[in-house]
Amino acid sequence: MRNCVAAVIVVELFKHPHLLLLQVNNSIFKLPGGRLRPGESDIDCLKRKLSSKLSAGENGRGPEWEVGECLGMWWKPDFETLQYPYLPPNITRPKECTKLFLVKLPPSRRFIVPKNFKLLAVPLCEIHDNHKAYGPIVSGVPQLLSKFSFNVVES
Amino acid sequence: MVSSAVVNTYPLSSYTFGAKEPKMEKDTSVADRLARMKVNYMKEGMRTSVEGVLLVQEHNHPHILLLQIGNTFCKLPGGRLKPGENEIEGLKRKLSSKLAANSPGLEPDWQIGECVATWWRPNFETIMYPYCPPHITKPKECKKLFIVHLSEKEYFAVPKNLKLLAVPLFELYDNVQRYGPVISTIPQQLSRFQFNMIQS
Repeated sequence: MRNCVAAVIVVELFKHPHLLLLQVNNSIFKLPGGRLRPGESDIDCLKRKLSSKLSAGENGRGPEWEVGECLGMWWKPDFETLQYPYLPPNITRPKECTKLFLVKLPPSRRFIVPKNFKLLAVPLCEIHDNHKAYGPIVSGVPQLLSKFSFNVVES
Repeated sequence: MVSSAVVNTYPLSSYTFGAKEPKMEKDTSVADRLARMKVNYMKEGMRTSVEGVLLVQEHNHPHILLLQIGNTFCKLPGGRLKPGENEIEGLKRKLSSKLAANSPGLEPDWQIGECVATWWRPNFETIMYPYCPPHITKPKECKKLFIVHLSEKEYFAVPKNLKLLAVPLFELYDNVQRYGPVISTIPQQLSRFQFNMIQS
């Protein structure tokens, strides 16, 4: 089974929480993350992917990433793209599992993004219920974040 | 730092269900409900309501217990907190009111777990959001869902006018039309838990 991890990073703009998304080639929006190497732990892989996509490089010359709790998991019962937030009954061999983790940012941070990606901060009100534009995983993030209360820190 | 919380779920058959006197809804229509909410808001400010997510397992798949009113409308057990009431104590009170037998000895010892979701109502309308929308400084209601850890054996007494259903997660997922936005998105909010499906 393929194991993937994705980071949920929240920033504040106009007193409303915004989610950091990467847009590839002006089309698909993704959470930063990717696939685990054999034997790698979830946290190590997420730090590696974050450094590779949002920082100077995989060899982690940038500051450390603070990975928080697991917010949710999505399962793929077969090789098609459909994913579910539970392991469907009668499925004993799921093909992929994606785990979402909350990643906490320090007060200030420099992001370095590959030229073919765009890093966007999208407000939760835009993502919520917007299955069409963002897909089920990203459009479900506002609900996963709803149990937290956001402490807006003025700069 | 990173831990998958574990939830023990027991088969539906390990629970016993009885009946008790009917518990009628205080409002006969959506308009009445919103009007009563407005009156209460003027007196007490923002309404805080709490609801419980009670899980059982059938065929190795988690099921949520829902109360069905009439033939279609389903809701989670719970309700409005009294002014100043603690969330956990309030939820226990509501769970006992809806699901426990009336004699004090038979009341389950409700184990309230963590909050899995919060929904905000910006106006006196039916729409709710999982965040407080921008430009809303005075939300009218805040609804919090908590997971409730059931023990292996419980006795539930369901009011005669309600039906208690155990609905599988796959039936709720993406089914906004039948269950509404709050209940149909519970599978996503539970996805981070590891379910320990205990056989009888």
